Amino acid sequence: MIEFKNVKKLYPNGTHALNGINLKIEDGEFVFVVGHSGAGKSTMMKLLLREEKLTSGRLKVGDYDLAKMSSFRVPYYRRELGVVFQDFRLFHDKTVYENVAFAMRAVGTPNKMIRRRVPAILNTVNLADKQKCFPKELSGGEQQRVALARALANNPKIILADEPTGNIDPQMSLEIMNLLVKINKLGKTVIVVTHEQSLVDYYKQRVVVLKDGVITEDRVGGMFE
Amino acid sequence: MRRYSPSYFVSQAFKGIFRNGVMSFASVAVLMSCLVVLGGFALLVHNINVNLEQFGLLNEIEVFVEYNATEEEILAIEEKIRSLDNVANVVRTTREEAFAEAKEEFDGMEQMFENDPEAVNRFSDSFTVTYADNDKVVTLAYLLNQIDGVRKVNNRMDLATTISSFKQGVLLIFTWFLLILLVVTLFVIINTIKLSVFSRRHEISIMRYVGATGWFITMPFILEGIIIGLFASTAAYFIERYFYFYVEKMVMSDLQMITMVPFEAVQMPLLYGFLGVGVLAGIVGSSISLGKYLKA
Repeated sequence: MIEFKNVKKLYPNGTHALNGINLKIEDGEFVFVVGHSGAGKSTMMKLLLREEKLTSGRLKVGDYDLAKMSSFRVPYYRRELGVVFQDFRLFHDKTVYENVAFAMRAVGTPNKMIRRRVPAILNTVNLADKQKCFPKELSGGEQQRVALARALANNPKIILADEPTGNIDPQMSLEIMNLLVKINKLGKTVIVVTHEQSLVDYYKQRVVVLKDGVITEDRVGGMFE
Repeated sequence: MRRYSPSYFVSQAFKGIFRNGVMSFASVAVLMSCLVVLGGFALLVHNINVNLEQFGLLNEIEVFVEYNATEEEILAIEEKIRSLDNVANVVRTTREEAFAEAKEEFDGMEQMFENDPEAVNRFSDSFTVTYADNDKVVTLAYLLNQIDGVRKVNNRMDLATTISSFKQGVLLIFTWFLLILLVVTLFVIINTIKLSVFSRRHEISIMRYVGATGWFITMPFILEGIIIGLFASTAAYFIERYFYFYVEKMVMSDLQMITMVPFEAVQMPLLYGFLGVGVLAGIVGSSISLGKYLKA
């Protein structure tokens, strides 16, 4: 479970990015976080990724209390998360297989396990036949699927997707979203930060609306207004 | 228990070195130059010390008695010398022995001595006084001069003092060189590793997001520093070795009064010293460049 309790984030330049967020996301939920630029979506992601520390309040992700967590534990906490970015952030000098394997190697997964698991994950994102391709040989949607496979590589409990469809065409966007829904049905909590109204409206999942650092709306099956 | 493959770290370290080939080469070259200079100074100081020790073996004062001193007077002088502070040993050389030594020294000129029946009387008995403490030699020389029946006191104190001052000067220069060169070396290594980190920043950010620990991220860069240090120290060792043999050859032919320590006697400490300084410089340099990456 993810729980924000009166979470505030004040940046050193004086910007109040979050002004007392209260939010509870149960395990296995699918949540859209929407809002315009400057609403606080990115800050929320950064807090969840523990890239930034909250100024006050309490943020719990599973057994981890992010306000009190020592730097030493941060890498272990991040293994509970799978992250997908708008710009994919793939290694262009590595094949699809190597891109996914890299995430596993970075946390010390034995080679035997990597060899067994990577093809299975690529199969989940429908890229089994593209293992040996390099990212530049793939479409935007396929690249994002590789990024998704990498996010799944270490079997995280939570998937954080920051504008996952921002760089791909609408048809591919639907593919990615369908995959995220599929992953959610496998029992993972999925949080998608987006500003694409059509997608949010289409999937009718829980929608959390942020405006000026506060939650203005939180509805299940909600629409982007 | 998760395991990390050492070959992964080593391969990443080599990739980093070749990715920034020019800077890596510059780091190796600068560190190597520093080590050669440092090694040169260290060998110089060591050789001075050895030579000083040899002069130390000659930490002796020659005390000549009056030409006409009787055996009783000579024995009394010896007794007085032995009773003085800082005297470690006293060896007597009779005038006959001194005369025989002189004849041997002037080999081929026996006739000159044989034609002069008074020649032996031009020599006097003497004592070779070995002293224990260099610092008290002035006092000892003074006291020896004060003994009745002593004609002359000779010592090598001036030479020892000159060499000692030279050694102090060399040590001072050595220390400054050491500091300046180490700072320069660290600066170059830091920049090399920073470039390496910069070219891999994308990779590092992904590693952080997937939960790689700080040491997993930094290890290839630390290894990169260590490899630079190893290359530089090995190269420096062989250059130093070449120079040492060259200088040794020169000294043996032109400056025979100076003793040079055989290279075999210093090669292992020199090699270990180079490896130690080289590797340490690599580790310190890369650790400084990576400071912020060690934080989560």
